[in-house]
Amino acid sequence: MNGKSTIVPNSEVALQVQGLTKSYGKVRALRGINLEVKRGEIFGFLGPNGAGKTTTIRCLLDMIRPDGGSALLLGLDPQSNQVAVQARTGYLPGEMQFFDNLTAERQLHFFSDMRDGRAEWSFVRDLAGRLDLDLKQPIKNLSKGNKQKVAVTQAFMHRPELLLLDEPTSGLDPLMQQEVLGLLREANAAGATVFFSSHIMSEVENVAGRVAIIRSGEIVEMAETGSLIRRTLNRITVRFKQPVKVAEFASLPGVEVISQTGQNSITLQVAGDMEILVQTLGRLPVLDLETDRPSLEEVFLTYYKN
Amino acid sequence: MKRLWTTFRYTYAGLRGQILAWGLGLAIYGLLIVPMYDSLFAKQDTFQKMLASYPPEFLAFFGADTTSMLTPGGFLGMYAFSMMPVIIGIFAVMAGSSLIIGDEERGRLDLILAHPVGRTSFFFGRTLGILGATMSIMVLGWAGFSILLGGSSLGFNLAQMAVPFLPLLVQILLYVTLALMLSLLLPSRNLAAMIAGAVMVASYFISSMAFMDERVQAVSNLMPYHYFQTVLSFDELNLTWLLALLGISAVMTVFAWLRFLRRDIRLTGEGSWRMAFLFRRRNRV
Repeated sequence: MNGKSTIVPNSEVALQVQGLTKSYGKVRALRGINLEVKRGEIFGFLGPNGAGKTTTIRCLLDMIRPDGGSALLLGLDPQSNQVAVQARTGYLPGEMQFFDNLTAERQLHFFSDMRDGRAEWSFVRDLAGRLDLDLKQPIKNLSKGNKQKVAVTQAFMHRPELLLLDEPTSGLDPLMQQEVLGLLREANAAGATVFFSSHIMSEVENVAGRVAIIRSGEIVEMAETGSLIRRTLNRITVRFKQPVKVAEFASLPGVEVISQTGQNSITLQVAGDMEILVQTLGRLPVLDLETDRPSLEEVFLTYYKN
Repeated sequence: MKRLWTTFRYTYAGLRGQILAWGLGLAIYGLLIVPMYDSLFAKQDTFQKMLASYPPEFLAFFGADTTSMLTPGGFLGMYAFSMMPVIIGIFAVMAGSSLIIGDEERGRLDLILAHPVGRTSFFFGRTLGILGATMSIMVLGWAGFSILLGGSSLGFNLAQMAVPFLPLLVQILLYVTLALMLSLLLPSRNLAAMIAGAVMVASYFISSMAFMDERVQAVSNLMPYHYFQTVLSFDELNLTWLLALLGISAVMTVFAWLRFLRRDIRLTGEGSWRMAFLFRRRNRV
């Protein structure tokens, strides 16, 4: 990211990251991140605390300088074209702090002024109304959730082309979480690209078309949300007409015994191909069989088992 | 340019409390001190006897003697302006050290810089804001010293009354830029303010002690206060000193700017003692 990017700009890609590395002393926060987010998609970025999600986003916005690698946002190098990138980007940090003595409205006016007054104030009021945010309240009197609403408003209010959101629903009640996800979808429908990190797997699963999972500074998986779930795991609950031995399943490749209810019912988790399991079940007196699509959370946790 | 102006506006507005507090404080002091000269002049015999009883070293510490203190210039120099660099310097080190890093330690700088303002525009918008605030404090102070001048026997006009505020402004700017530069080099704002404040106080004491002991003169020559004048005539102003001090302030400002351009922005809180190389390349591939 030094003006001599090795990435070839692609007009169909909103975010291109190649070999991004960053260390804090001896701690290697990013160990070569490679990402590509297409224009117009909603991309989820999953990882536990300390995995490198915030560091990645802050590198993209030139808050911190990576030690190596390249990135392009909307075809621009964020270090040499910082202002141009930020004019077209909306950012929601994971930890929000404001000028406490200002009202929410005054704080948003400040952010709008920093964008040459680009925000349409009718849209700001509309956003505030949908998020049930009292603009006249001083920031210092707002709860964590209401401050998050101010943060969401400032990220969306200038209708950016690219949204970089670090845990956008953090601190919000379930109704407001749905409202924010709705804003996300609407922005995306209007053409914006959304890149967001979250711990709430259900919202990533419902909203994101593709996800990347980051672990210890490296991307360990990147795929479409649906195929990731379908490809990775299946959960099967089988009831038998008579007791069966658990050991019969535990030795099958890719099969894990999750639980056993009595001696006749067993729940299994299968990674990958189910053919061997199906063949095994074929030899046994099966009463009924139920398959469960695993949640993204379960998929996510498999990458952190060890 | 527009965003630099926006940053300047908000910075100046954010400092309005300090402008009023320090400026009005200085102005009120002026309102009190100017009429005091007449009282002193009326009782100068008594006052001279009192001064004669002081050890000469005591008067020398303030750069004064028994005769100069009774002149208008000596009076204002001793009672009004001699300690101003230290008193107003408190504003300088606190405001200068928190100008950029205050927002960073409170976790606000991230979001501010995520807006299309650019680090250079932001830095100089803030710097011009504090320059404007410092000048506003000087103007308020000058107004306070000038209001009762007409009825006083000091014998100065408004322009002459403004003269000592020029070296004072330059001294304050020096400490603002020192605190600013230190805040961008050191792990915390508090540490930067402490060191800048220590330099300010040490400068005052060492320069004052040099009047009493010539052996301290060599060290005093390195202190900013040594180059502070309390004259009330433009002809007596040492422009070389003023310009040299302004030049040093400018160098420290540029140094601070270059450091700000290259450093990582912390999420919140104070930094560590691991100091990155000042001019490290942006990207080691």
